[in-house]
Amino acid sequence: MNIATKTIVRKNQELELTNQRALFWRDRNMLVLSDLHIGKTAHFRKSGIPISSEVLENDLMRLDQLIEHFNPSKLMVVGDLFHAELNQDVLRFRQWARENDKIQIILIKGNHDRQSFEFYEGLNIKVFSETLTISPFTFSHFSRHFPDDVFSITGHTHPGITIKGKGKQRIKLPCFQITEQQLVLPAFSLFTGLNHKNPPEGCIHIAFTDSRIFEV
Amino acid sequence: MGKFEESTGFNIITNYLSEKGQKPFSFQLQAWKRFSNGYSGVVVAPTGFGKTYSIFLAVIIDFLNNPKDYPKGLKLLWISPLRSLAKDLAKAMKLVIDEVGLDWEVQVRNGDTPQKIRRQQERLMPDILLTTPETMHLLFSQKNNSRWFKSLKCVAVDEWHELLGNKRGVLTELALARLHTIASKLRVWGITATIGNLEQAAEVLIPNSTTKSTMIVAKEKKKIKVISLLPDEVGVLPWAGHIGSAMSSKIIPIILENKTTLIFTNTRGQSELWYQIILKEAPELAGLLAIHHGSIDLKLRHWIEDNISEGNLKAVICTSSLDLGVDFKPVDCIVQIGSAKGVARFMQRAGRSGHSPYETSKIYFVPTHSLELIEVAALKEAMKQQKVEAREPLVMCYDIVIQFLVTLAVGEGFTKDSAYHILKSSHAFSYLTENEFNWALNFITKGGTTLKAYEEFHKVIKDDNNIYKIKNRRLSMLHRMNVGVIVSDAMLKVKYISGGYLGMIEEYFISKLKSNSSFVLAGKVLEKLHVKDMTVYVKRSKAKKAITPSWVGGRIPLTSYLSHFLRIKLAEALSPGIRERELKFLHPLISTQNMRSHVPKDNEFLVELITTKEGYHVFMYPFEGRLVHEVIAALIAYRLSKIKPLTFTIAMNDYGFELLSDQPIPLDENNIHDLLSKNNLMDDVIGSINASEMASRKFRDIAVISGLVVQTRPGSRQNNKSLQSSSGLIFRVLEDYEPENLLLKQAYTEVFNQQLEEVRLQAAFERISKSKIVVKHSEVFTPLSFPIKVDSLRNSLSNESLDKRIERITQQTLKALFE
Repeated sequence: MNIATKTIVRKNQELELTNQRALFWRDRNMLVLSDLHIGKTAHFRKSGIPISSEVLENDLMRLDQLIEHFNPSKLMVVGDLFHAELNQDVLRFRQWARENDKIQIILIKGNHDRQSFEFYEGLNIKVFSETLTISPFTFSHFSRHFPDDVFSITGHTHPGITIKGKGKQRIKLPCFQITEQQLVLPAFSLFTGLNHKNPPEGCIHIAFTDSRIFEV
Repeated sequence: MGKFEESTGFNIITNYLSEKGQKPFSFQLQAWKRFSNGYSGVVVAPTGFGKTYSIFLAVIIDFLNNPKDYPKGLKLLWISPLRSLAKDLAKAMKLVIDEVGLDWEVQVRNGDTPQKIRRQQERLMPDILLTTPETMHLLFSQKNNSRWFKSLKCVAVDEWHELLGNKRGVLTELALARLHTIASKLRVWGITATIGNLEQAAEVLIPNSTTKSTMIVAKEKKKIKVISLLPDEVGVLPWAGHIGSAMSSKIIPIILENKTTLIFTNTRGQSELWYQIILKEAPELAGLLAIHHGSIDLKLRHWIEDNISEGNLKAVICTSSLDLGVDFKPVDCIVQIGSAKGVARFMQRAGRSGHSPYETSKIYFVPTHSLELIEVAALKEAMKQQKVEAREPLVMCYDIVIQFLVTLAVGEGFTKDSAYHILKSSHAFSYLTENEFNWALNFITKGGTTLKAYEEFHKVIKDDNNIYKIKNRRLSMLHRMNVGVIVSDAMLKVKYISGGYLGMIEEYFISKLKSNSSFVLAGKVLEKLHVKDMTVYVKRSKAKKAITPSWVGGRIPLTSYLSHFLRIKLAEALSPGIRERELKFLHPLISTQNMRSHVPKDNEFLVELITTKEGYHVFMYPFEGRLVHEVIAALIAYRLSKIKPLTFTIAMNDYGFELLSDQPIPLDENNIHDLLSKNNLMDDVIGSINASEMASRKFRDIAVISGLVVQTRPGSRQNNKSLQSSSGLIFRVLEDYEPENLLLKQAYTEVFNQQLEEVRLQAAFERISKSKIVVKHSEVFTPLSFPIKVDSLRNSLSNESLDKRIERITQQTLKALFE
């Protein structure tokens, strides 16, 4: 796996965006990502739609490699860590979390995270139900109306962008969306769709492929 | 028993008919007799000649002659592609039954049937049930369903030609295959209009060689009169695209002259547009003019249909939504706007007017650009020679195998042998191998090839008696919601905020529309307010200008039959025959083409190199329909780019295509033969397209049919949100983790057969290789190239600026002509 990065500065802080669907905040030694949707493939399987559990293994492998690369002390998940009910995939993640118990996992609850707080404590995850501010940034699953001086880092929308080439060529890529007051993270799991509608007003798109990360 | 003509049943029925002043047609007599002798068969007859009676009365006569052979319960199953047909058909059948004095029940069962009636039917089936292929499969997914079909004597498949070429036909085949295993000595009768491959159509419907089968073709022919509406003058260039007001003044007198006129357009968007144009031109028609297409509320459509029947409407603007269906007595005139794209479709539409057997059907053709008038000449020729398109039956649709097996598992459960036997006995899966079948079983029981990767997979299970079953109620329910093979684009309901439902609109269109902007639906200008629960809430808008939605998928390509006649007629157009009104009218335009460039003969292939301020254009005219042109254009671009790296803009219509580049294109008389060579054809095609991308798009239907993607019903609150995923995502996952999956293979096969039309493409290059290639240069657009140019401009320009642009190009051409 190839980790390509692109650094942006907001509120005097350097944020390293990666082509592996996460960003690293070096000042706080924190890996930030969103929308893991753990349990989604098992949820599909239980409903008769065969999606291989290797999809999850692949997601976790990418996470391992990011951790190896940045060596963070904290993992911030901006919502939708889990997709649905407690199932094999979730148990698999619990095993992963135990193997990585040196890393503090923080979760801002998303609309999919419907588990009880006790459950997360069993996993040693610090859970916040709405927002969390770690100065100078505010983390939230959804975009919200924050005061003008707040810079928020959010998820939820699974942003993507369509790049049009000459002729009738077009290609859809996942991306980070960045405005003066907000950064929207791409969905971390590969088993998620892309949403290219209604980007935040005036945002720039940082798109990426398996090998590169670039501004569109 | 004596002669059939002396039998009790025959006499009761013929007496009954003669009391009504009717005499059976000879094809009906033939069908009755063959049926009583135990035959299955296919009846080929034009609409309006009593096709229904040929089968329905055959069953009644047989019953009257042998009442002891008919136990209590379902006797005749009537499968038709259309729901709307059933209601009126049931009424007509019931009338005969009552008047003959039988006590048979006739009932309809389809998606519109209320719960209460369904439960009643499940307790006691009527003697005759009218239904659709989808509902048949839904019946199969009920517990203990075999008992309903044990007494069955005959299955009639109405409008078989409409089902044959698509996946609904495969559903029908499987339904029949299963019914044969339940009801012994079942007779199957198809009713079809004339198509190019009748023998094959019969074989697909009745594949069992042990069954006696026959084909009965009615001698009666429908007379069709085709009249083209000519514009006032023929310009130097064929105006293309929207010519509404110029032609609407010619359509309105026709509407006024006739009782009821059906106006066919090719897309839903066009029908909305024409509705506005005609109403603006003739406001007195308000209330007498209606619009009918697939995106309009079903209830509203039924209301419109009823009002056509009762003669309350002067005209209805419609799409293929009214191609089939009940015969509307008052309709005495048809208008076709733009190309009908095929001989069969054109004849079918014409046949919607003048219904009683010996009346002549009348159809007016309104061209949207003047070259389409050649098509009328071509259509007339094809009709004279009785050349009608074939409908190719589909085979090896693995997605339907999956759906069918799960349907059986939800219903009574199945054993491996019985399911394999049913599939193999159908035409569609007669070549299914045991390996493929085992793959399908594995797919629905284990999820995929490697057991470990599919923990907790839960769908079909094999019980202790080796019966494959689904026991989970939620999974059964999910499956029943997804039965069928009609995959619609993601559609949203459109509702007034004050209440009242208008119709459906594509999610794609609405998502691009800002709130408070206006669009047109069902002939009304509406303002978008907000979207919730798959429903768009709107209110009436006062805006003068509104966007007409362009529903995706409305553009059907020209059939190869029609394009064959088109090439011949174009060649003839330089010296038109005395009776060829359309060609005579077009003569000045064709002369311009000949003067500026060339009019290709049937054995020639024309290439035009045109240089304008915009850049360097290559136009080629294979006349093979837009799908094939898309492929050829990409192929030529690919071959050219091997000579010199260039980027092209590609545009096409049904006649030809354009490659446009900002740099000179390295194409001339010397290398044109190589560029159009049939050598390495498919390799180059694969090199020129993104096959995986195309397959991923084809996979959409396959994923829904095989249950990999759960469809959300518009307006439904129960949207299974946590199971939402796009077919593209699943396609990617399967390519990564299950590359051997047969559904992926099917997606690629469908790309080659349907998207690339491989057979037609090969034939086209075969023909081109035998043709004389003519290369011409020009400084201005030629009449043939112009409509393609306009079509490509339309995508990038607004309507107004498009009109101005067309005007300017026309002026340039005029100037060049007189220089």
